[in-house]
Amino acid sequence: MAVFSVALMVVDARFALLKPLRSQMSLVLMQSYWVVDLPSRLYQGVASQFGSRTELIAENEKLKTETLLLQGRLQKLAALTEQNVRLRELLNSSALVNEKVEVAELIGMDPNPFTHRIIINKGERDGVVLGQPVLDARGLMGQVVELMPYTSRVLLLTDSTHSIPVQVNRNGLRAIASGTGNPERLELRHVADTADIKEGDLLVSSGLGQRFPAGYPVATVKEVIHDSGQPFAIVRAVPTAALNRSRYLLLVFSDGRSPEERAADAAKAQENIERGADPATTAPANPVPHAAPAAAPAVAAPAVVAPAAAKPAAKPASKPATAPATKPPAKPASNKPPVTAPAAGTRERIDG
Amino acid sequence: MVNLAPSRNGWVVWFTFLLGLLLSVSPLPQFMEIFRPLWLALLLTFWTLALPHKVGMTTAWVLGLMEDVLYGTLLGQNALILSLITFLVMSLQQRLRMYPMWQQCLILLVIFGLAQLAQLWLSALTGNRQPTLALLLPALVSVLLWPWVSYGMRGLSKRLKIN
Repeated sequence: MAVFSVALMVVDARFALLKPLRSQMSLVLMQSYWVVDLPSRLYQGVASQFGSRTELIAENEKLKTETLLLQGRLQKLAALTEQNVRLRELLNSSALVNEKVEVAELIGMDPNPFTHRIIINKGERDGVVLGQPVLDARGLMGQVVELMPYTSRVLLLTDSTHSIPVQVNRNGLRAIASGTGNPERLELRHVADTADIKEGDLLVSSGLGQRFPAGYPVATVKEVIHDSGQPFAIVRAVPTAALNRSRYLLLVFSDGRSPEERAADAAKAQENIERGADPATTAPANPVPHAAPAAAPAVAAPAVVAPAAAKPAAKPASKPATAPATKPPAKPASNKPPVTAPAAGTRERIDG
Repeated sequence: MVNLAPSRNGWVVWFTFLLGLLLSVSPLPQFMEIFRPLWLALLLTFWTLALPHKVGMTTAWVLGLMEDVLYGTLLGQNALILSLITFLVMSLQQRLRMYPMWQQCLILLVIFGLAQLAQLWLSALTGNRQPTLALLLPALVSVLLWPWVSYGMRGLSKRLKIN
């Protein structure tokens, strides 16, 4: 029996032979996570049934203000995205990849207290892939490490076996944030004593490991200890995501292409643009009116909806002034309508 | 294992194991996670002592495999641990039954502690070593629960006349 167990373990560790067996078993067994989650779900259901009217009104009010604020910020974001795309074109660098996200729900925690893993209700059949990044509303949470048909296991950032390449948002300093096994702490390894990093710095994912998308907040630096006896500074950070509180998570679907394919596609797109440059010269007038209506609702919306948001309204108002200003120098880049088109598409989606 | 006696209410055994599986993944407050009792080990110990002709190594192994799938560990890890526990209990079975409760608890503490150490060793091999010996706590908690499990289950099996 022992020999058989050991053989099974070795086979499971080294080969993919037992995958089907595991996934078949998990199909049935993973229901138990759902079952043991039922009481808390029921409690929440009952609580929401009997939530008092005033509470609900207050919550509604709060959510409305929050939506308003977020929408105000989004309007600015649309203009910024546009600007960013334009600047990137000027620099001839590739456009930012747009990621699709899908909401997943947490259905269980790993019973082993020494690992930080959670179980979510989306699995292989929902298109989840191994290594897929998982976010919550405030930042990066972790990555998918095990796939089952309708569930998957997510390794959190703070697990002691997990590390993620990050970047200080303020100055772009790169580092690697490793989990410590403490749900409230990440540690930055091998940061030079003289490195420009201080308390309160936001760490964002750098995307260098090609696992996580770049630019998502990961943690904020909590303390930097310079110990002359140590070769490196000790940097501790707190994850921005609510790792042990979030119930709803976002699965990020970046496009499934490999970096090489992406580069090839980008090159092809570039070629197409160059080929289409001559006919496009007749349409430089096109992007300007196209940008104008985009900016117009940005101005109009806060003015109409939120008189209180006078400050955000003032900012978009100054935007159209800068937008046409950047347009003329962007004339050589007027051969980019095909590229701005997807950007405009995403903006519309964000607005909607 | 040949069943000569017609089994009665055998489903109860499996029902308790199912309950044990559920308990072993049920959410606990963060600070209590490290005290989570080894429910399956407790149940297996009880049924091996009560129905040695029915519950044995094979049952333990299959349950362990299920636990592996639930925990996402290597297939066979918990199977090995539970088989080890069952093996030790079966080899001490004659004596364990005669002992008073406190002595049973002591013996089980050793067995469970041993199993947890084997667990530590196996998870160290697969790369996630627990930093402390706190992993012995579940063994302790399980042993403290043993009298209750034992008496409660005995009452149940007497009432339902399981064999």
